[in-house]
Amino acid sequence: MKYILTLILAMAAGSALAASGGVDPTWPCIQRKQPHLSLGQVWSGPPPDEETEELARDPEIAALADRLEQRRLPLEEAEAEIAEFAKQADASRLTALMVAIFDRIEPERSAIIAGIARYGESQVAISKRIEERRARMEEMEAAEEPDFDAIDAEEEALDWDQRILTERQQSLTYVCETPVLLEQRAFALGRALSAHID
Amino acid sequence: MKHLLTLVLCLAATPVLANRVFVSNEKGNDVTVLDSETLEVIGSYPVGNRPRGITISPDGKELYVCASDDDLVRVFDPETMEETHTLPSGPDPELFVLHPSGNPLYIANEDDNLVTVVDTETHQVLAEIPVGVEPEGMGVSPDGKVVINTSETTNMAHFIDSETFEITANVLVDSRPRFAEYNHDGSKLYVSAEIGGTVSVIDPSTQEIVHKIEFEIPGVLPEAIQPVGVRVTSDGSRVFVALGPANRVAVIDGETDEVLEYLLVGQRVWQMAFTPDEKLLFTTNGNSNDVSVIDVESLEVVKSVPVGQQPWGVVVAPD
Repeated sequence: MKYILTLILAMAAGSALAASGGVDPTWPCIQRKQPHLSLGQVWSGPPPDEETEELARDPEIAALADRLEQRRLPLEEAEAEIAEFAKQADASRLTALMVAIFDRIEPERSAIIAGIARYGESQVAISKRIEERRARMEEMEAAEEPDFDAIDAEEEALDWDQRILTERQQSLTYVCETPVLLEQRAFALGRALSAHID
Repeated sequence: MKHLLTLVLCLAATPVLANRVFVSNEKGNDVTVLDSETLEVIGSYPVGNRPRGITISPDGKELYVCASDDDLVRVFDPETMEETHTLPSGPDPELFVLHPSGNPLYIANEDDNLVTVVDTETHQVLAEIPVGVEPEGMGVSPDGKVVINTSETTNMAHFIDSETFEITANVLVDSRPRFAEYNHDGSKLYVSAEIGGTVSVIDPSTQEIVHKIEFEIPGVLPEAIQPVGVRVTSDGSRVFVALGPANRVAVIDGETDEVLEYLLVGQRVWQMAFTPDEKLLFTTNGNSNDVSVIDVESLEVVKSVPVGQQPWGVVVAPD
């Protein structure tokens, strides 16, 4: 019950926020919803032009971006690979590599954000369903000749819904961290790359 | 002659004073201490739950930390980082400001729409001042006569008389005001608005907005530009504004209110602090878990130093 109340309160606070600042009320994370990342947030090097956009599709650059983007590649190794690449790369190739990395991380991040938004919406749906079940149980219990089998079945369903709600609520912290981890990766790679541009 | 030479050599060799830099880590529940000269981490020390606002007494003897989830202010010896006592703060203290004399401390209580005033010597609550919804930013005029509180939901800067604890004026600013900072001669008050994306420049004598600073960064979506911390050099010539997830600090001409430059620092840059000589400016970067060091003269980011989890506030010990 406490969880539901918290959720309802959070939703109420969320809609108050929405009224004041255009914030999505069903967004379930503490982190503010930022649907898209922009290159300028992670890159202080030269702004990309058509040439660098074209270069970003160069097989060598694309392959390197594929490797660097993977979070399982430790940052130190990524930085070493960048340093190696920078030995023969001019500013436009370095910028192109950043564009290629960004073009990989940003869609992944946006997809996760959309997923979290759906997650938030389904949490709201589950909590609504719990309220409905509760109301139905009260109705059934108040009947002149209560159907105890039906009440038991309803109660079991209610327990399940509550368990799902609670467990999903608990894993939310981790889920919400994922976009942050991707931002950190993009930023760290951007910083490593721009360090090689004078 | 020999003595004179020794004296001259000694003078020449006098090292630049190093100051301790204290960074509160909101998620790490600790404070990282840096050396302002070597820029190395001296150590990190537990300080209670969810430390956010952090400040130090003018004599450098008491370090104050808002332990938001403990609902109090914890006070530490800055040298040993031992906790000496706590101060009552009201629930969920987030940010506070010390009177220029070092007493009292004005604390914003985000959850119950109050500013709590605490005597730092007697440890007693002197007043609870009702303000707007979700009080957050706290500033104080250089003469200590006016305390400013910003309320996030009411979108106002409240002017509070520091003697009578009464609100004397309210100025409507842009959405979600986060921080209030006077310049040193008290002629301008800067109030940042996180969602509005602006900094209002207020004339404290008329309580009118004389200018609104807007930000535009090529390649950065406007919604990522969220002004939070503001710091002004003591000559008033440069204003630094931390722009949150834009990952940049804006440098503003304090005379014309024009943006001169944007410096890429770390992720989700939040609060800032100068060294006493104002040669360096430290910024806390909550998502990259580091502190960026800006050379104020050359406007270059000279170093980033990894600190704890989610650095929030920063203060530098006085000389």
